[in-house]
Amino acid sequence: MNQMTDLTKNNQRPMLRVSGLTHTVSLETDTLTILQGVNLEIKRGESVAIVGRSGSGKTTLLGLLAGLDTPSQGTVELDGAEISRLSEDERAKLRARRVGFVFQSFQLLPALSALENVMLPLELAGIEAPHQRARDLLERVGLGERLNHTPRQLSGGEQQRVAIARAFASEPSILFADEPTGNLDNRTGQSVSDLLMDLNREQGATLVMVTHDERLAARCNRTFHIEAGVLSEPDAAREFAD
Amino acid sequence: MAAAKKLMSVRRDWRERDVRVVLVALMIAVATVATIALFANQLQRTLVSSASSFLAADRQLDAENGKPVPPGWIEEARNRGLQTGQMIKFSTMVFGESGFQLVSVKAVSDEYPLRGDIEIQPNQDSSRTIVDAGPRPGEIWINPRLLRLLELQIGDTLEVGNLKLTVSNLLIREPDGGFRLSSLAPRVMMHVDDVAATGVVQEGSRVGFVYLFAGDDRLLEDYYQWLEPQLEPSHEWEGVRDGETFSRSLERAERFLLLGGSLAVLLAAVAVAVASRQYALSQRDTVALLKTLGLTGGGIGRLYLRRLALWGVVGIAGGLAVALPLFWMLVRMLSDVLERPIDFYLDPSALTPALLTALISLFAFAYPPIRRLQNVPAMRVLRAQPGESGREVVPDLLIAVIAVFGLVWLYAGELTLVVSLLGGLVLLLTVLALIGWLMVSLLRRVRGGGNAWRLALVGLYRHRQASMAQMAVFAMTLMLAATLVLVRSALLEDWQAQLPEDTPNHFLINIAPNDVDAVESFWAERGVPLDTVYPMVRGRLTELNGQPVKEAVSKDERINALNRELNLTWMEQLPEDNRIQEGQWFAKGDTRGVSVEAELAGKLGLKLGDKLTFTIGSEKVTEPVGSIRSVQWDSMKPNFYMAFPPDGGLTNMPATWITSFHLDESSKLLLNEFSRQYPTVSVLEIDHIIERIQDIVQQVTQAIEAILALILAAALVVMAAVVSATLRDRQREGALLRTLGGQQLLLVRSTMLEFALLGFFAGVLGVLAAETAVYALQARAFEGEFRWHWQVVLSVPLISALLLALFGRWQLRPVLSVSPMLLLRRLE
Repeated sequence: MNQMTDLTKNNQRPMLRVSGLTHTVSLETDTLTILQGVNLEIKRGESVAIVGRSGSGKTTLLGLLAGLDTPSQGTVELDGAEISRLSEDERAKLRARRVGFVFQSFQLLPALSALENVMLPLELAGIEAPHQRARDLLERVGLGERLNHTPRQLSGGEQQRVAIARAFASEPSILFADEPTGNLDNRTGQSVSDLLMDLNREQGATLVMVTHDERLAARCNRTFHIEAGVLSEPDAAREFAD
Repeated sequence: MAAAKKLMSVRRDWRERDVRVVLVALMIAVATVATIALFANQLQRTLVSSASSFLAADRQLDAENGKPVPPGWIEEARNRGLQTGQMIKFSTMVFGESGFQLVSVKAVSDEYPLRGDIEIQPNQDSSRTIVDAGPRPGEIWINPRLLRLLELQIGDTLEVGNLKLTVSNLLIREPDGGFRLSSLAPRVMMHVDDVAATGVVQEGSRVGFVYLFAGDDRLLEDYYQWLEPQLEPSHEWEGVRDGETFSRSLERAERFLLLGGSLAVLLAAVAVAVASRQYALSQRDTVALLKTLGLTGGGIGRLYLRRLALWGVVGIAGGLAVALPLFWMLVRMLSDVLERPIDFYLDPSALTPALLTALISLFAFAYPPIRRLQNVPAMRVLRAQPGESGREVVPDLLIAVIAVFGLVWLYAGELTLVVSLLGGLVLLLTVLALIGWLMVSLLRRVRGGGNAWRLALVGLYRHRQASMAQMAVFAMTLMLAATLVLVRSALLEDWQAQLPEDTPNHFLINIAPNDVDAVESFWAERGVPLDTVYPMVRGRLTELNGQPVKEAVSKDERINALNRELNLTWMEQLPEDNRIQEGQWFAKGDTRGVSVEAELAGKLGLKLGDKLTFTIGSEKVTEPVGSIRSVQWDSMKPNFYMAFPPDGGLTNMPATWITSFHLDESSKLLLNEFSRQYPTVSVLEIDHIIERIQDIVQQVTQAIEAILALILAAALVVMAAVVSATLRDRQREGALLRTLGGQQLLLVRSTMLEFALLGFFAGVLGVLAAETAVYALQARAFEGEFRWHWQVVLSVPLISALLLALFGRWQLRPVLSVSPMLLLRRLE
């Protein structure tokens, strides 16, 4: 019963709310402003792409949204929790329960097999029977035959599939992806992004993706542009029109 | 937590190069320290038991007053768990078929010897054998010379007083050979139970009752505490360490072993610190990812702490698995050298330093960089973060220095050692910092290019942090190894100088004044030169500045020299190995004054000009102290506490003459001829004692060599560990350079040059720091004189340059043998 009320409440709340977000980095002589006055609200289940050139601040923004870092100014509210108020450890716990990640460079642990890489977040979140769930997920991403291969024995596309399986393993409510196809060729990138979008839909998770792949961005519900640290949503009007 | 557990399993860890280095370093640390501790322990026991056997026990109680000690004393010793034994020593005439001879009798109880063994020969033609007990009642063992003097055969009877005893063996060597001038006549050994029946020992005869004790050091010490208040002045309690001849050698050997141990600890610490820092750096990505996946900082800390503990267990187990067989081998080796079996003595408490080293290495050197992993930002998964600031390293360094200090102190137990070693290290690091700064500012000007020299210099600059770290480690390792080599050479030279091949091994005593010239020519004709012949007058020091000497000297000081007659002499020239410490040696024509041995002078609190009164027979002689001189007691030449000038205080006193000389084993028969011609002159044979001392020196030398080899091996592994720490980077660079068209030869040359330069600088620094440490050590701990070791100073930098160049070449192998494409992918 309690759970029900929680869910209802949750459904009304945006998944991610950002207001007045500014991030600066101190250099030897002066300070560099990387993000400036970013405001953003992402609804539950939405898929959002953030597009921008290299050095525009998109990776920094992703790190701040995911709670990997804290902003210089402004607030980030992730699933109702204001992350700049949380301690590093509280943020880690939040990530373990609610957040999944997919990286450009896959970030698999080279010493662990595909299966073990997927099991790792399940174990960290204390989920029961991690073995079965990891196996199911790997089968779902088409690697059921390669459970015991280490990352080095897998191609780039396969490694990213393992990473996607890992990202969805703990059933996150929000998934952050940093250039998920950046290190892959077109065709492989295409199939990996298909997989990412499909799984996201199946699991009803919110997706926030940084990319410079316009086609991939186009498959998301909304696209933001970022330039010199300033975020804009050119298609907002169209979306409203839809 | 299967995956997480696997992430933390040693088996998986082992696949990671840096962990392998940490584990190997740890194992080496434990193995080296454990082996040294075990071996030092064993050696010490072997040495002490060797030296103990000079007493035939751990302690002797001499009753010089001719009376047995109260039976209660011996009973008390037995009750306290000590082994005891008894000897009675006296001189008497023995009668054989063809004559009689003055002999020195040693009557021993069944327990004799408590330490050491006796060498006998069943008859003249058979080989010598070693036994561990003296003659049975009814038997007598005699010196081979006596056999010839009395024309005896084995099995003949010999009369000692009223008792007839059967000569059953020749006595070749007794463990307590004795080095006293009282044992002048040929030795015979019989059973103590036969003494009463001889009727020789009666109230008032000159007899020495000697009691032997052996057992645990602590028990002996407790017993002595109990006994001491009851001892009379004529009782003398002797321990191994009181013997002037061996104590210095033992002490130095001990110090050297401790020094070696301390250096091993330092090397181990360096290895663990370097490898774990490298490991921590390599773990940053994993930690960032784990954080991203939701693991808290505390969770990461616990994860790595568990891992460290696991390494500790594996390192200790692996180290011991290496140490124990190694220890076994060393003891076997020692046993071979000594040509006698040695009992293994595995003292579990000797492993404590090894375990402590492992724990402290882990927690003071490995933990700090790993602890900082908690602070790795999760953001690192998205983008490389700025490196660690230098400030974070400062507390680590502080912890490391304190830990090193504590470890070495704990291990060596001597502040001088710790301070000289760490002083050398601090100096080294200071100079390194300076050189580093210089290097960076000089190398910055070098621009890249195609020539091997420039590439090498650019390489050094590009890896300046790694280069400096490697140089620091190499220099430190070289310093430690060089210190050990230098101290070892000094020690061995010193020992060899102490007992050269022609060390006098026989004394002639009791030469009548008018026989002196004849005796000298007897030996000169047979090609055996005698050392200086000294007159000797027996006398007691009785008064100090007119006051009875026992009152004048504090009662706490037990001074053996006051309890017995001293050998006084006169001489014109200061003996070569004596050194004047205060005052002036007698000028020509001087007749006043006496020169006093420095240690005795110190104990008596003598100053120049103090008046000493000697009682010689019924006469008294009083002379002022004219000089104080040091004496080489272990020179095996006649040495004197008190020396007068010719025509001085000893004029007209009854003197006999004494000298020493070296006689080869093959010329021993000359002694019989001499004894027949000069029956009143006593020959004291100490060749066996000298052989024993040389044995001990050889034993210690072997041990030192073995331990040195171990430490040098450890040093090599440390260097290898450090070099391979940057292996991956260098291989990647090499592959890139080849991809960009760099020729193999250029790559080989520049890499070897880069390493050679590194090795050269490290060598120069290391050897200079070593000289500094040796200077401090020699001045304080080893009492030697310092001099530069030019050969070492010049060769170490060259050797280290060469070694490192070869290391560099070896590292390049995969880069040269595999296509760059494959290598780059493999290194990805």
